[in-house]
Amino acid sequence: MTWNYSKKTTELFMAAVQGKPGTHLGEIEDADGFGEHGSIACGDALRFTFSVDRHPTDPKKDRITDARYLTFGCTSAIAASEALCAIIEEGDFTPIEALKISNQDLVDYLGGLPQAKIHCSVMGAEALEAAIFNWAQKRGVDLAELGIDIRREEQEEGRLVCTCFGLTEPYILRKIEELELRSIPEITNAIKAGGACMSCHHQPGGLQDLLLKVWGKQSTSLSQLPVLPMAREALAQPPQEMSPFKFAKLVEHVVDEYVRPQLAKDGGDIEIVDIKDTVVYGRFLGACSDCAGSSRTLKMMVEQALKDRVDQRIRVVQV
Amino acid sequence: MSVIYLDNNATTQVAPEVVEAITPYLTGEYFNPSSMYDAARGPADAVSAARRRIAKLLGNARPNEILFTSCATESNNTAVFGTVAANPDRRHVITTSVEHPAIHNVAQDLERRGFEVDFLPVDSEGRLDVTDFVHALRPDTLLVSVMLANNETGVIFPVEELARITKETDPGIVFHTDATQGVGKLPIDLRGSFQNVDLLSFSGHKLHAPKGIGALYIRRGTPCRPFMLGGHQEDGRRAGTENVAFIVGLARALELAVEHHDTDEGRIVAMRDRLQRELENRIPYLQVNGGAAPRLINTLNVACHFIEGEGILYQLSSHGICASSGSACTSGSLEPSHVLRAMKIPFTAIHGSVRFSLSRYNTEAEIDRVIEVFPEIVASLRRMSPYWDAERDAPRPEALEMLEAPDMPQDHA
Repeated sequence: MTWNYSKKTTELFMAAVQGKPGTHLGEIEDADGFGEHGSIACGDALRFTFSVDRHPTDPKKDRITDARYLTFGCTSAIAASEALCAIIEEGDFTPIEALKISNQDLVDYLGGLPQAKIHCSVMGAEALEAAIFNWAQKRGVDLAELGIDIRREEQEEGRLVCTCFGLTEPYILRKIEELELRSIPEITNAIKAGGACMSCHHQPGGLQDLLLKVWGKQSTSLSQLPVLPMAREALAQPPQEMSPFKFAKLVEHVVDEYVRPQLAKDGGDIEIVDIKDTVVYGRFLGACSDCAGSSRTLKMMVEQALKDRVDQRIRVVQV
Repeated sequence: MSVIYLDNNATTQVAPEVVEAITPYLTGEYFNPSSMYDAARGPADAVSAARRRIAKLLGNARPNEILFTSCATESNNTAVFGTVAANPDRRHVITTSVEHPAIHNVAQDLERRGFEVDFLPVDSEGRLDVTDFVHALRPDTLLVSVMLANNETGVIFPVEELARITKETDPGIVFHTDATQGVGKLPIDLRGSFQNVDLLSFSGHKLHAPKGIGALYIRRGTPCRPFMLGGHQEDGRRAGTENVAFIVGLARALELAVEHHDTDEGRIVAMRDRLQRELENRIPYLQVNGGAAPRLINTLNVACHFIEGEGILYQLSSHGICASSGSACTSGSLEPSHVLRAMKIPFTAIHGSVRFSLSRYNTEAEIDRVIEVFPEIVASLRRMSPYWDAERDAPRPEALEMLEAPDMPQDHA
């Protein structure tokens, strides 16, 4: 795949690598704002620092005077870093104003980015945000009080969805919404999630489910084929030494312990009809039985509970 | 700007002699070799002559053991799926973790279909451990597929030995080798040292023939069902009208490779070794991937710590130099090369890998040019890397710690 970067992108990149005047390579010592995004293992990383002209009485009126970056990454990652600093330099922003700079602003500044490189602009926006949060902390500005979402829930480490790039459910959900991502390829292009082993695409609670959660049912992506059941089995763990009797007992136990209390909250229940090898046949009862909309979610909930606690190969068939 | 082409493991320039050989079959001699009239005799004879020459050049194989295909990928698919279809009772396959995608992804597909596949690991130099291979063999092993030489690192596997062990264990196991990078560069004697190899794939465009022609050697008596069904071409083993011109081109290219081998080999290896030595001397924190293993004479894979390969390629390209990289940004996926990951190349270097692959058309002056520009490109990207201290021109202490860390912090496998 050859390069199809815009003229602006290649100009910024070449100016940066040649260290031309007006470029923003570097790191500010004792910076007022310090933010990082990415890692060397993931293939790109950005360290962004800025300094401010401190307002004598109100830190909220600090003005960003200088912005610098160090970037490990491809042509477009370096160009996007340069674009970020240039936008900030031209804007004469307060840090709080700078929070409004989005990845799309970087893309526009660059005159567009190839779809597969959108994550480079997202990385710039993320590092900027991290640096501004860092500034707020240093200067004692309470961003939450100003109505700014400081991602408290994400700091509590949500469930890991993309293990390859270490991305959690709350983060991915927010990005799906913020960047209006409508398909798995769009998610991967923007934030890299699902771009490596791809096992999180269609597993329960995976990217497809997160898309459904944000956009509802209409967002099904026809370009993505579902993982075949056999593939899922192949990915699962090696068989455990367990007699059919013990296996069934354990399934019952997990259903009693973890599944039934959940269903009971909505006035429902489940009956285990049969178990053949690792296929569990279940029937939903009570309030759950005639709720067509939720049956898929229920089935997945039960299946996940059994997979996690009994055997990865388990499939639940709704009777 | 003239192009300095150092990506010959990707594809090669078509040799002028090959162009000359194929031209008549693109112009006057256009007839279908399957037709009955006299005019078609020319193309039909050309195909069988090419088949005989190729068979002979691979160590006196029988001409009807050579099957023409469209590319090495088709040869590999035919070898694997054809073998699987012909041996329904066996369900176990052995391959390596560093095969070309045309085997790697095919093997993964078999896994999804319920086959058991062992992907043998390699060490940090990209070498296989024969003991691992022996442990992997099973009573129900159907197929072993091990490449002859790796496309990314050039590391050569002991295919002859593995094939012998396989056949001594159980003659019923089919042994396949993807020899795409080896044919034309390494001696292949299907009656001699390669006598235990049942199936062997290669293509034309890696040895100065055009793209769109490949071949599969199928040893007489090896059960292999056709992959493409249709007409009776290739004795019913591969349907589709013969690509007469390119078949002629493939034979001519293989002849040239054998003819040129003795004169070219020393010159190419000298250029490659000089490039390696000079880059090692001029660039700190540069490692040669597979440098301690037996390697193809034309391949040099280096990893530059703390920078990313796409930016290197981009700048090389601006100097007219063509090379490739195993970094995530150039792979089409977001993962770096599976070959370098299997070798456990440190994660500080895996994204900064660059492969130079030479051919007989390269010159010393071209190598000089790379030696001149490459160190500066690496230095320019290191100046911007958050892992590099530009003032001291050395890695930052925390980056050095990562280098010494035994494992990657994130397992992409």
